[in-house]
Amino acid sequence: MQNTDCTNIREQYTEYQENTLPPEIRAKVDTHLASCSSCNEIFRELNRVIRTLHNLPSLQASAHFTSSLLTRIETDKQLGTWQKIYHSSYTKVAGYAIAAGLIVAIGINILIDPISPLQPNGRSDFAGEQSSQIQTEESLAVVTDSASNVSADTLTQQNIPINPQNQSMQLVSGKK
Amino acid sequence: MNEKPEVTDEQLIADFQAGDDRAFVELVDRYKDRLVNFVYRFLHDMTDAEDMVQETFLKVYKNKHAYREIAKFSTWIYTIAGNLARSELRKRKRRKTYTMSELSFDDNEFTPVDSGRDTEDIVFNSYAGEEIMKAIYALPEPFKTIIILRDIQELSYEDISTILDIPMGTVKSRVNRARLKLQETLSYLKE
Repeated sequence: MQNTDCTNIREQYTEYQENTLPPEIRAKVDTHLASCSSCNEIFRELNRVIRTLHNLPSLQASAHFTSSLLTRIETDKQLGTWQKIYHSSYTKVAGYAIAAGLIVAIGINILIDPISPLQPNGRSDFAGEQSSQIQTEESLAVVTDSASNVSADTLTQQNIPINPQNQSMQLVSGKK
Repeated sequence: MNEKPEVTDEQLIADFQAGDDRAFVELVDRYKDRLVNFVYRFLHDMTDAEDMVQETFLKVYKNKHAYREIAKFSTWIYTIAGNLARSELRKRKRRKTYTMSELSFDDNEFTPVDSGRDTEDIVFNSYAGEEIMKAIYALPEPFKTIIILRDIQELSYEDISTILDIPMGTVKSRVNRARLKLQETLSYLKE
């Protein structure tokens, strides 16, 4: 187990090795080393370690280091441009404005014509429009085929308002 | 015969800040090997070390105006590389706790550049070098960094003080304690 003297002496190692200790302290260290084999051994071992560290083989960056770095910088620049656009306040404001515009447009549409989008047969979606168009075409065929049986007068007598949508509905049900 | 004085690092970074990208490439050429050597001592993986050094240069490129000529360029770039390397080490420690027996070092990654030394010296250094690298890897963080900066990179106390942002006196005492700790670890490895 090392004593206090040994601890103090070992704390001076670097300055002793670099020759930066005041002469009187250096003399004390020399005196101690002359009589302490343990500290002597550690000082020699430390010298060896430092010498080895100084002589560690040098490593070299690979031959393509610079070219691949420059490619990486270019990629980063391009990525950076898109990120800047994505994160820029102008882009955010434009996004919010578009979103707000859409909400207002939908709101106005509902206010102007609140019922039609909710009517089962007045669906405004594309599929609905297509199916009602097919029905209308079938109905017209029925009208043509059975023109002699069902007249416009009959429809008028039944007090059904005539418009393209409910006309087709009525005629389809008439066919049944 | 008068030799043309070499352009200083500080002049090169100033040129780069003024828009000259060739100055940046010159800085890369000057520092890539030194930084790979530096970062490799932390990570012990050549691919990771190169990647980290590229990251360092990328940061320099993107933040070129952050450099002010109050410090040397070398201390600035070492600070960036050191921070990245230590941060990577912390991430690794979170992922996995290494034990001494798990450490392995690929001899092929030690490519001696200086062939002027005699064979016996190279054999001695290669063997001891591997042992020492294991011991450095096992050192606690503040000791590891200071040993790499002082005894492998051979930077001045003043530069280390700037890089680590600690007083010169602290650098000196920490270097001594790190060396003693390293010697102690090596003794443990020998047993």
